[in-house]
Amino acid sequence: MIIAERLCKSYFNYRKGWIPAVEDVSFECLPGMIFGLLGPNGAGKTTTLRMLSTVLRPTSGTAYVAGYNVLYNPAAVRSHIGYMSAGTGIYDRMSAWELVEYYGKLYGMESDRLRERMETIFDWLKMNDFRDVLGSKMSTGMKQKVSIARTIVHDPPVLIFDEPTSGLDILVVRVVLQKIEELREQGKTIIFSTHAMHEVQKLCSRVAILHRGRIQASGGVGELLDRYESSDLEDLFFKLVERGGDINTPVESVY
Amino acid sequence: MRWSIIWVIFRREVRDQVRDRRTLFMIFVLPILLYPILGFTILQLSTAFEQKPRTVVVLGAERLPSNPSLLDPRGDRFARELFSSEAEESRLIVDREPATSAWGDPAKRGEALRSGKVDAVLVIPPDIGERIDQVKPIETPIIYNSVNEQSQLTYLRLREVLRRWNDEIVAARLVHDNKPESYTEPVQAPPTDVATGKQAGRNVWSRLFPFLLIIMSLTGAFYPAIDICAGEKERGTMETLLISPASRGEIVMGKFFTVLLASVLTAFLNLVSMGLTGFQLARRMSALAKSVGPGAADVIAPPSLVSSFWMVLLLIPPAAFFSAVCIALAVLAKSMKEGQYYMTPLYLISLPLIFLTLAPGVSLDPFYSLVPITGVSLLLRAIMQGDFVVARRYFLPVLIPTCVYGVLALRWAIDQFQREDVLFREAEKFDLKGWIVHLFRDKEETPGPGMALLCFVLMLSSAWFLIQWLADTSPRSMVISQVGFVLAPPLLLALLLTSSPRRTLKFYAPKIEYIAISLGLAIAIHPWGSELASWVEWIFPIPEEIRTRLGAMTANIKNPLTLLTMFAIVPGICEEIAFRGFILSGLQNRYRNVTAIVLSALLFGFLHVLLSLSQQAFNATLLGLLLGLIAVRSGSVLPGIVFHVTHNGLAVMMSKVKNPSLSTWLYRDTVNGLYQKHWLALGLAVMIVLIGRLIRNGSDRSNEAAEATDKFEAELVESAR
Repeated sequence: MIIAERLCKSYFNYRKGWIPAVEDVSFECLPGMIFGLLGPNGAGKTTTLRMLSTVLRPTSGTAYVAGYNVLYNPAAVRSHIGYMSAGTGIYDRMSAWELVEYYGKLYGMESDRLRERMETIFDWLKMNDFRDVLGSKMSTGMKQKVSIARTIVHDPPVLIFDEPTSGLDILVVRVVLQKIEELREQGKTIIFSTHAMHEVQKLCSRVAILHRGRIQASGGVGELLDRYESSDLEDLFFKLVERGGDINTPVESVY
Repeated sequence: MRWSIIWVIFRREVRDQVRDRRTLFMIFVLPILLYPILGFTILQLSTAFEQKPRTVVVLGAERLPSNPSLLDPRGDRFARELFSSEAEESRLIVDREPATSAWGDPAKRGEALRSGKVDAVLVIPPDIGERIDQVKPIETPIIYNSVNEQSQLTYLRLREVLRRWNDEIVAARLVHDNKPESYTEPVQAPPTDVATGKQAGRNVWSRLFPFLLIIMSLTGAFYPAIDICAGEKERGTMETLLISPASRGEIVMGKFFTVLLASVLTAFLNLVSMGLTGFQLARRMSALAKSVGPGAADVIAPPSLVSSFWMVLLLIPPAAFFSAVCIALAVLAKSMKEGQYYMTPLYLISLPLIFLTLAPGVSLDPFYSLVPITGVSLLLRAIMQGDFVVARRYFLPVLIPTCVYGVLALRWAIDQFQREDVLFREAEKFDLKGWIVHLFRDKEETPGPGMALLCFVLMLSSAWFLIQWLADTSPRSMVISQVGFVLAPPLLLALLLTSSPRRTLKFYAPKIEYIAISLGLAIAIHPWGSELASWVEWIFPIPEEIRTRLGAMTANIKNPLTLLTMFAIVPGICEEIAFRGFILSGLQNRYRNVTAIVLSALLFGFLHVLLSLSQQAFNATLLGLLLGLIAVRSGSVLPGIVFHVTHNGLAVMMSKVKNPSLSTWLYRDTVNGLYQKHWLALGLAVMIVLIGRLIRNGSDRSNEAAEATDKFEAELVESAR
């Protein structure tokens, strides 16, 4: 499970001083649930997820991931999460099997258990035909599958997907979404960021809409649609963005 | 740090490099291909150059006397006895022309020389025979073209031929006049070279090899470092690696060992290939020249196995240093392309340090042993020359600093990997004006490590411009220069660029305890300081000339108060405010206390290398550690000043003790100021107790003291209102 408590992240700029990228972001995400982080490019989605994965240190606020604090126990957090970034992060000069094995070893898995786990994953993702294909020779779909395999090789309780579907064709998107759904059924805690509304509507039980570094609204999908009298998420999104023009007032507090 | 994880990362990186064609090409193919091709080219050029004979037009050849003969009577050569070998003789061809031929026209001659038809023209005067007989001066002009290299060479050869011919004429006259040979050359200086062919050969190798080894290890480290740091960022795999449970230290170490392997392997393979090519080349050249002397094989004999073993082993520390520096630089770059840009400054700094070893007259001494790359290169050279006495003496003095630099570079690299702004750097336009505004607008309480380094650089450069005053030993100019180059930069920077100069320079009243400890330590350490100085001087003797000059400096000043001011009070105050005040605070801002103390002590030692005797560096660095500890624990600059002034003051004043009974009571060696054994023992005991106390005292007392004072004063101001 993931708990974010008033996360803030600012960057320093010589000309403008401190610029906030993420402000006061709080949410909760429970096991067996997919939490959607919805927002346009530059809204602060990746920054938020990087803080959860401990590679960025929050300027203020804190978060607990899988029961560990990101500030005080970052190593434990990192070994209990699987993180899939927007870029697939596949090494060109490594085969699918080698890459997944490499990450398994970095997670300190025993070789017998690792092999067993990898066979299961390769079957599940139907990756056996390109086990020995090098990263540079893989198609986008293959890369995405390897990336998923790498993310889940150590069977982490928490999974973080940062725009896993951006720039993919619809066939691959379908596979990726399907697999994420199957992972939810296995009881994982999943957080999923995207700027595609329909994916959120299809997958997520709860959603937070992020714009200009702040959460403009959050809650169950149906609940949000009712609250803002919108027909679908896209409609809701535009309403929030228009009202959220003044970035210093979160929309929820207006209502 | 878990070695199993480092091993996993190392294995992956090595496999990745092995699968990269560029790396394979750089490490394996290039040396195997490059040097033999180079060898072939040199061979071809030299044979083409060597074997072509040059033509000399001898104008008026018929006027030459027959004895002693200049030309071979039968053909188109000079006389055989004017050359030392047949090969030499065949390189000059004579074109005999009568005095009446067209060659007498200077315009035509010049044309022919410029177009390269002939290489030189020798003009024989009409009455040469008579002039030789009558012992009159003779002029045989040589006309050549200095722009043309062949013509120039022909001129030199021709001059040598004429010199020998001259000698023969003189010899004939001596016989004729019945005079001994010593009549014309009374003094002879036959040289005898005791260097064996092997040593001569080693000398050639020993200059070239360290140079190439070091430069290859740098090149070998650079490309893989860019590929596995900047390249990893560029391909977007860095983020996933950072999110894995491997710590930053483990990631850097895994990458570091990979780069180190590539660096050592590149240097080693280049060396082997170059050695084999050079060996083969020398053999072919001497075979072609047909003049293989008995020593020729020795001259090009490669270094012995023992030397080679030590060379390869000694290669590892500098390669490690380069690898760490390259990684730290490469991770700064966002892309491989940006990484390439960092290569120029790196080479610009390294090359002069390596070139030093090629310079004549540069050999290992205490100063060079501390210079990062030069020290190792010179040590390699000593080993190559088989000079094991020097090599043994400087083995540790070179290796320890090199390892320290390597560790520091590695720490820097790990440090870079921990910085978000480096790892997730976005393209940002650098704006000078904005940056300067920021510097003054967003002042922090204490400076950062960058400013600490800036302060040190400012001190060095102002010292350079104050060097006239430094060389002058009058009390006034010494004080002025100390204040100018040691005190002014930290004071200025603290006032301009920090919001709390007081905190930066540690201007706080310390606990009395620390003053007492400092005073006690300075006295207790004094006997050991003399001891250490004499050891250092035994290993690295101070040149007599400098020693006399130093002695004169203190001897001329009779007033003890002036002496104390010059050598104890002023340096104590200035150096403490600079090093334990500004620089240490700057380093403490980023690093742990231990690291900050070590770095500031190294800088302190380095200043002494540049500005006074390099022999003082050891002493200064050790004292720097102690002074750093005192400053950190007390949170004040004052105890350090007390220590420094007492320490220097004792050193100056004790040298003035002239009373013989007091001297024998204190010293066991009165000349060198070495104390009696029991004083040493007492000093050691006191030192252990006091240093132990310093170490045991809480580590964050400094901040506590400062904050308490600040708070107290804030309250005072508040209550005053």
